[in-house]
This record gives sequence, structure tokens and C-alpha cells, in this order.
Amino acid sequence: MGCQRAKARADPLRSFHEVSNVRRVYLDHNASTPVHPDVLAAMLPYFSERFGNASSVHGFGREARDGIDAARETIAGFLGVTPEEVVFTSGGTESDNLAVKGVAGARPGGHVVTTQVEHHAVLRTCQALEQAGHAVTYLPVDGEGLVDPDDLRRALRPETILISVQTANSETGTVMPIEEIGRVAAERGIPLHVDGVQTFGKLPVSLRESGIALMSMSSHKIYGPKGIGALYVRKGTRMVSVQHGGDHERRRRAGTENVPAIVGFGKAVELRARHMLEEAERVSALRDRFWEGVRRSVPDVRLNGHPTRRLPGTVNMSFRGLESESLILALDLKGIGVSAGSACTSGSLEPSYVVTAMGVPTDWALGAVRSSLGAGTTAEDIDYVLDVLPGAVQRIRALSPAGAA
Amino acid sequence: MYSETLLDHFRAPRNVGMMRSPDAVGESEDPSCGDLARFYLRIEGDRVREARFQTYGCGPSIAASSIATELVLDRSVDALGELTAEAVEAALGGLPEDRRHAATVVVDALKGALRHYRKGKSRGTSHV
Repeated sequence: MGCQRAKARADPLRSFHEVSNVRRVYLDHNASTPVHPDVLAAMLPYFSERFGNASSVHGFGREARDGIDAARETIAGFLGVTPEEVVFTSGGTESDNLAVKGVAGARPGGHVVTTQVEHHAVLRTCQALEQAGHAVTYLPVDGEGLVDPDDLRRALRPETILISVQTANSETGTVMPIEEIGRVAAERGIPLHVDGVQTFGKLPVSLRESGIALMSMSSHKIYGPKGIGALYVRKGTRMVSVQHGGDHERRRRAGTENVPAIVGFGKAVELRARHMLEEAERVSALRDRFWEGVRRSVPDVRLNGHPTRRLPGTVNMSFRGLESESLILALDLKGIGVSAGSACTSGSLEPSYVVTAMGVPTDWALGAVRSSLGAGTTAEDIDYVLDVLPGAVQRIRALSPAGAA
Repeated sequence: MYSETLLDHFRAPRNVGMMRSPDAVGESEDPSCGDLARFYLRIEGDRVREARFQTYGCGPSIAASSIATELVLDRSVDALGELTAEAVEAALGGLPEDRRHAATVVVDALKGALRHYRKGKSRGTSHV
């Protein structure tokens, strides 16, 4: 330990910026992704040349409208639905809000079923519904993060008006049994909303045969711009609008359309559609190489989430005897970007509610770190992280009182 | 987010580890986040001659522990009694709002060590 310390101290103080000249490895694709150059190129004309308001009658407006229509058709085609069923929003959070509040608003006082591991955009919206007089059931998950469709069956009541379940968890990557959940929803004739933000453009989805009435999507998780997303709304789904104003988006979402972002989103989906399956395979292989490498080189580590039913790029592991924030900081100083579960709550140092809901003991849950690989991730990146990680874990563990966690 | 001083103390913590036969040991835990800091002090003539720490926690908690050992070294035990979380935070070049607990847990642990020392002294023992 003494030697290690002396060596570390001999290093000149290096700032974050200097570190960035060394090697940078981004393993936080579930938080956000870089905009693909082709996406950016597609967007640019819509800032200055085709800048019109898509609601305007004149040619300037029509050019903007054409951009929106084309993007909507691309996304609808990718999903196998009609363009009228795609509503553009400002992103995943708004889509979740619109779906949950929109359906609940059409049936005041109804019962909603969701899970304990939803994104805050669903969880806190459901909590707001409870304040407004709705009853909400939060289904538990098993040790691997899966919801049991039988639990869902048992939770349903005559007055249940909505089921909302994520397609995959952003922290652990566990892919939910949506087909079975969709069958339960269809049997009972209850609209099913899925938060599809983490799977959209990464894993295939068939909405037509699924029992899914609504699906939230986001652009910036699939190499599109931030601030844009969509909600699939199956034709005939009863809902109210949440944001009032003009007649945009067939009166389901008021507000002048963010045309450049919509065009970029469409382009991002077009690119993903072309490479989705081979990319999923490539990233899954890197993900497994990463976990195997960690498992071999670091003692007292466990995988959180389902071993196989998992997003292609997601690895959530717990290191016992350290607090995740310190490991994230140590890796950050080596140019490696990973996160502690959800980026939205990184200010909180309490263990992740997702990992806790899976029954992971607190001493392990406190050391949970999520890595999410993506299009830019290479085998060399993974090898670099595997070089750095064991030493970083060992160093932080050595600072800790024995048996502290 | 974090100052260069904080990062430096996180990257190369000073005075890490246990101490054989310390004159005082103090420990504190933040119940909400599980952070745990433990300090060992060697005290001679009512002055801190050596300070060591072991900490489980976030980066700022580790850095705060490290810088606190420097703040108390060669100071009187009375000065140790007057150490505040604000002073530790200032020495670190500031802490984000949601990491203020780092300075608090460290100061609480050091105060615990001081109480331990005074109690031991009143009983006429110097070792634990």
C-alpha cells in the first residue's frame, strides 16, 4: 500500500482535461449517445433553410411539414404501425407522462398497475396519480429483475385502466417478458403502455401482435438528438391530452414541432433499422467479454440483472466493499465513463431502488456500477477498462475499514 | 464538479491505514448513504502527532478523510475539538450540495476520537 501511494503521489496533478488527451472510453450509452454524423447532416438544413412553422400554409411551412411527415413514416414503418399512430414529444419522459396521465385522465379514479423498477418518469407520474385519487399497484420483481406475469394477473381489478411496464430496465438491462404481459393485457382488454426507451432501436419489437397500446421512445439513446421522442398510440386508445394549445399531432400534443430534431430522430431510426441486429450481436459479444474479464480478475463481484435476458450493451455489477461513487470517480480519472444506475439520480448516494427491489443486499447494492456499451465501443476499449478496473477496485477497497460493507 | 484539491486527495490519499496502539480511535457512519469513516490518532503532550484513516464511501468522503488527517496533524487536541465540517469543506475547495455529508461524517469521526482520548485520559490509560 505504501509503495502504491508513493507512486500515485509522484504523478503530477492531472486535470480532467488533460486526462481527456489520454484515452477516453464512454460506457454510458444507456444515459445518452453521440449524434451520428449523418443525423446531424440531415438536421442542419432544417435550422436555417427549411425553418418554417410546419403549421403554416405557405411553402416555407410545407417544407418543414414534409420533413416531419417523412420522419413519421420512417418511424411508423420501423414499428410496423401507421404514421397516425406516432406522436412526437420532447422525449422519453414526456412520452411516459403523456401515456400514463393521458390514459388515466380519460378514466378518473381508475386503477393503474406498474412495477417497482420503472424509470422515474413512470414511477413519479404514478405517484402523482395517487395524489389525484387513482389507486396504483407497484409490482415486485424477482432476483434477476423480472416481473412475474402471474403477479400482474393477480393485481388486476375490474377498475384497472392501465398497465405500464418497461420493455427493459435502464440500470440492469433486464428485458421484461413483454409478450406474456401483453397477452394478459389483451385477455383483460386493458391498455398496456410500455416504456420502450431502452429497447427501441436496439431490439426488435412487434407492436401489431403484442397487446401494446402505447410505447414511449427516445431519440438520444439511439444516436439521435436530445429533446425529441415519440409515443406510439394504437388507434382507438382512449386518452386525453396533457399539454393544451394548438392542434399539433392530431390534438394529442400541442406545441410547434421541433422540426430539426424530428428529422434527426427519423434519420437515427433509419440508420438503426439497417444495422440493429448485427449491432446487437456485436455489442452483446463485447458485453460478455467485459463481464467474463471482470469476473476473472476481480474478487467479490456479482452481476445484477438477468444473465441472458438483457440489453445487448448493459452490464450492471456490484463490487462488495466499496461505494460505487468512488469507483466511478477513480475510473473517470482514467478517462472511463460509467455510472451508478440511473443518471437522473446520480446526486443521490442511496443504493439504487432497482437493485434494491431485486433483493440485492445493501452491502452489495451500494457498490453497483452500470456500464452500457454502444456503437462506438471497441474490443480495445473493453481491454483498456479491464486493465484499469481491477487496480482501481483494489485501491478503493484498501482504503476501507475491514468489513465496512 | 470536484476541485483539483479534492481529486488530488482522492487519487493519492494521505495517511491511509490502521495504527498499532493508537491513543484514540473514532468512527462515524452516515446512516443514509452508508459512508463510514474511522480515524486513529497518536497524541503526545495533548498534540496530534500522527493521524491515520480508513474510509468506506464516495470520492469526497475519502478525500475529506485524507485532508482532515493533514488538518489535525501537529495541532492541539483543543484545536481538534474546534474543527468544523465547514473547515474541512473549505480545505477541499468546496463540496457539491449533495456531498456535504462527506465533511460531516469525517468531523464526527474525529470528534469521536477526541471523546475517546479524553475518556481514556480521565481513566488514566493512554492505549486502547
